[in-house]
Amino acid sequence: MKILKVKIAVPAIAAVMMLTACGDNGGSEAAPEASSEAAGAQLPNGMTIKEQIEARQSQLEKVGDAFKAISDQLKAGTPDIAIIQEAAAVVPEATQGMADWFPEGSGPESGIDTDALPAIWENMPDFQEKVGNMQEAAANLNTVAQGGDMAAIGEAFKTTGGTCKACHDDYRLDD
Amino acid sequence: MTASTAQTLVWDWTIRLFHWLIVLLIPLLWWTAEEGMMDWHRRLGLTMFALVLFRLIWGIVGTWTARFVPMIRRLGSLPAYVRDLIARRNGPSFGHSPVGSLAVFALLAALSIQVGTGLFSVDVDGLESGPLAILVSFKTGREIADFHELNFDILVVLIALHIIAVAIYRFALKDDLVRPMVTGRRGDLEPVSTVKVNPMALIASVVIVAASLYAVINAG
Ligand code: HEC
Ligand code: HEM
Ligand code: HEM
Repeated sequence: MKILKVKIAVPAIAAVMMLTACGDNGGSEAAPEASSEAAGAQLPNGMTIKEQIEARQSQLEKVGDAFKAISDQLKAGTPDIAIIQEAAAVVPEATQGMADWFPEGSGPESGIDTDALPAIWENMPDFQEKVGNMQEAAANLNTVAQGGDMAAIGEAFKTTGGTCKACHDDYRLDD
Repeated sequence: MTASTAQTLVWDWTIRLFHWLIVLLIPLLWWTAEEGMMDWHRRLGLTMFALVLFRLIWGIVGTWTARFVPMIRRLGSLPAYVRDLIARRNGPSFGHSPVGSLAVFALLAALSIQVGTGLFSVDVDGLESGPLAILVSFKTGREIADFHELNFDILVVLIALHIIAVAIYRFALKDDLVRPMVTGRRGDLEPVSTVKVNPMALIASVVIVAASLYAVINAG
C-alpha cells in the first residue's frame, strides 16, 4: 500500500519524466543491479530466465486483453456474445501451465524487469493454490460463456476477476 | 482584512462552489483509488469531470473574474507584479493576480489531464476501467492508467505549491485570499466589472456539461 508521502516525495516533473522513460513496468524499483549471468542461465525447461519472464508476461498480457474485451462487452448496451465467447476461451488456454512459469531465480533478483514479488518464492504453496483457483474459475467462465446466459457470464467474470486480484494483491508489484 | 464596509463581489458562487467541491473530491478520489473502491472512484471521477468541464466553459462564457482571456492579459504584468510582491508593495487584485492566473492554468491543466486520462484507464486485471476505455486496447489503456497515476503526483505537487502560496499571502504578505474564496467578497477594492452570473450562460454551460456526461457514460 502506497501512502501519500511517497507520492509527494516525487521531487519534480523532470524526475517524474525520467521515471516514465523506464517504461510502464514499475518492477525496476524492486530490482537490484542486473546480473547478466543469472539472467542468461538456463532453466531445466531449456529457457533462459529472461525468456521465461518475458514469456509469462506476454501470456498474461493476452489474458489482460481477453479480460478487457469481456469487460467492454459487459458494459456495452448491446453486448456481442461472440466476442465474449472468443475471449473467454483464450483465458484457460493462455494460462495453461502457469504453475511452472515462476521457477526459482525468476524473481526481481534476476535483474530483469519483472513485477513478480519475492513473496512468491517464500509462499509457493499459497501461490500455487491461487494459480489453481484462477484456472478453475477461468474454466468455469469459459463454460458459462459458451452457454450464452449474460447474467451468469457477468457473475463468472466477477468471480474470475477476483482470483486475479487476489494473487496480484499479494504477489505482484503495485505500480 | 479589517472589518470592512463596502464589500465588492470578486468571485461568483459557481467559482466558489467549484473550488470547495474539488477540494473535497481530491482526497476522496485518492482514497477510493488507493482502497480499490473503483465504483466510487468512477462516480466521483465523473463528478469531477463535470466540474472541471464546467469550469473550462465558464472560463469562456462566465463572469469576468472567471474568464481566461483577462487572466492571459494579466500575465503581461507578471514581472512587475512579482517585483512588487518582493518589495511587499502588493495590493489586492480584482480577480486572479498574475501569479494567481498562472496557478489557475497549471491547476486546471493538471486536473483536466487527470480526469481525461481517468476516462481511458484500465487496471491490470482488465476488470476495472473508465467509461471510454472501450475505445482503446488493453495495452494503451494500461499506459494511460500509468500516466493517470503519474499525473496525480504532479497534481499533488501543484496543490502543495498552491496551498503554500496562499499561506505566504496570508502570513507574509498579509493578504487573506481564503475568505474571499468563501464569501466571494473583499472590502478593499473597487470592482473592475460586475460579477453577476448570467442565467442564460449558466443554463447553456450546464446543458453542455450534462450532454457531455451523458455521452461519456453511454459511450459503450
Ligand atoms: C497466482 C498469481 C496470479 C494470478 C492468479 C493472476 N496473475 Fe496476473 N500476474 C501475476 C504476477 C506475479 C505478475 C507479474 C509477472 C511479471 O512481471 O513477471 C502478473 C502480471 C500480470 C499482467 C501484466 C503482464 C505484463 O505485461 O507485465 C497482466 C495483464 C495480468 N497479470 C493479468 C492477469 C489476469 C487478467 C488474471 C486473471 C485472469 C491474472 N493476471 C491472474 C500473478 C498472477
Ligand atoms: C485540493 C486541492 C486544491 C485544488 C485542486 C485547488 C484548485 C484551485 C483552482 C483551480 C483555483 C482557481 C479558481 C478559479 O478561478 O476557478 C484555486 C483558487 C484558490 N484556492 Fe485552491 N485548490 C485546492 C486547495 C485549496 C485549499 C486547501 C485552499 C485554502 C487554503 C485554497 C485556496 C484557494 C484560494 C484562496 C484561491 C483564490 C486565489 C486567488 O485569489 O487568486 N485552495 N484553487
Ligand atoms: C481529478 C480526478 C481524479 C483523481 C485525483 C484520480 C486519482 C487516481 C489515483 C491516485 C489512482 C491510483 C493510481 C494507482 O496508484 O494505481 C487512480 C486510478 C484509477 N482511476 Fe482515477 N482519478 C481521477 C479521475 C478519474 C476518472 C474521471 C476516472 C474514470 C471515470 C478514473 C478512473 C481510474 C481507474 C480506472 C483507475 C485504476 C487504474 C489502475 O488500477 O492502474 N479516475 N485514480
